[in-house]
Amino acid sequence: MCFLMKKLIVYISILLVAALMALGWARTESHEGQEINPKEIIFEHLGDAYGWELPFNHDIRLPLPIIIRAEDGSWHCFSSSCVAHGAVHDGRFAIGDEASGYNGKVIELRPDGSVYRPLDFSITKNVAALFVTVIVVASVFLSLARYYRRNGMKAPRKFKGAMEFLVDFIYGGIVKPTLKDKAPKFAPYLMTVFMFIFVANLLGLVVIFPGGANLTGNIAITLVLALFTFFMTNVFGTKHYWKDVFWPDVPLWLKFPLPIMPVIEVFGVFTKPAALTVRLFANMMGGHMIVIVLTLLIFIFAAMNVWVGGVTSVVSVLFSVFMLLIDVLVSFIQAFVFTMLSTLFISLAQEGGHEE
Amino acid sequence: MELFTPEFGLIFWMFVSFAILFFILARFAWPWILKSIDERARMIDEGVEKTRQAEESLANAKLTAERYEKEAVARQAEILREADRMKTQIIEEARGQASVEAKKVLEAAQLSIEQMRKEAQARMRDEVSALAIDIATKVVRQQMADDESQSKLVNSLLDEISNN
Repeated sequence: MCFLMKKLIVYISILLVAALMALGWARTESHEGQEINPKEIIFEHLGDAYGWELPFNHDIRLPLPIIIRAEDGSWHCFSSSCVAHGAVHDGRFAIGDEASGYNGKVIELRPDGSVYRPLDFSITKNVAALFVTVIVVASVFLSLARYYRRNGMKAPRKFKGAMEFLVDFIYGGIVKPTLKDKAPKFAPYLMTVFMFIFVANLLGLVVIFPGGANLTGNIAITLVLALFTFFMTNVFGTKHYWKDVFWPDVPLWLKFPLPIMPVIEVFGVFTKPAALTVRLFANMMGGHMIVIVLTLLIFIFAAMNVWVGGVTSVVSVLFSVFMLLIDVLVSFIQAFVFTMLSTLFISLAQEGGHEE
Repeated sequence: MELFTPEFGLIFWMFVSFAILFFILARFAWPWILKSIDERARMIDEGVEKTRQAEESLANAKLTAERYEKEAVARQAEILREADRMKTQIIEEARGQASVEAKKVLEAAQLSIEQMRKEAQARMRDEVSALAIDIATKVVRQQMADDESQSKLVNSLLDEISNN
């Protein structure tokens, strides 16, 4: 008991010292520049960017390639450092500000002063994080597959064993019991979806490069994932599934002459992927946002008063750690839920009728 | 609001990257991994079932072995008893046979002894009769040396005959 108390006191004093140190740094930071703008910082962290912020310095960014198609139809590829800090590349490309309506995006300045948003295929921070995720997932599972090819039925140990456990948890826990004999057909897609979301979520929680991108908290990513599920569900849907959509088993007056149920069913076909999109996006973005807000509280209160800032930093750090731990859980749960719902939607479209 | 408007470039890259990831993993990773996991699970299930069956048959085998053992012990006892009985019987038989044989031998011996005795008796009698005749001859010859005695004998013999 006494030993525990001693330990607790040591931890608390370390936290306090760290908080005070952070406080001094925060004060100098906030006094150096202009007033901190929480909204800008939050949206910068949640959104996309043309460079990748490196740890310990706000100004140095890892330059990433910008690939755009200009208004005249020509393609341009240049480093993001060419347009950093308000610089104009090639006399016409720059990063838009709020006044232009394209805040933080590459814009083309027309000679008459108006702006044009070029077709943008840039390797942004999110695209780079996407590549990192794809490479991590591919290398982990290709090496696991190689292990099985070499060792046959031998059970893998350590990291590969953990990956096998994860695979078995999803495959044996959701995919196989739900899809039964159809499982081998759809399992590759569902497993890929789960692993991709899970790894992307976790990499997003790693605060510094090569993590920290809010990838699964970006609606474009979740939209594409949901579209893949939509595609898988409807392209491989059975005749019975389509009959259930357009001519469901309900009393006749519900579908003729006013097609109430068919309209609802068709609507449902599209709300399913929409729900998938928004659920994953909102959960992951929310998690990132809370952690950033809690961290920003330190800087906001530090600008007010030293002692208020000191207390806030201890509380904020504790809360951020707690929230990050929750986010680790949420990372898994959201990947799990997305996969589970995808499996469910696909299996509903695979039903062969009521005779079974 | 920019958070809720999907960026076309990101959609494009996401589509391309995810499609590539999916095709690579679907072609080279998942079939192997899932097949191995399925097969291992099947093997473990079968193994458990086999173990259960093996345990069952082992228990059965133990029971059978015990039964055989008991039977064997019983048979052994029976065989031993039988052997004992046979031994006694053989000894008895042998003893009986031996006594019969001995009797036979004894009888034969007695017979031969008897025969020999008879032979000896006969020979002795022959010899004695020969000797008696000899002696009688000698006595007769001595007594019948004179005529008077000869006639006396003839008379006495004749008397005997006439008296009869």
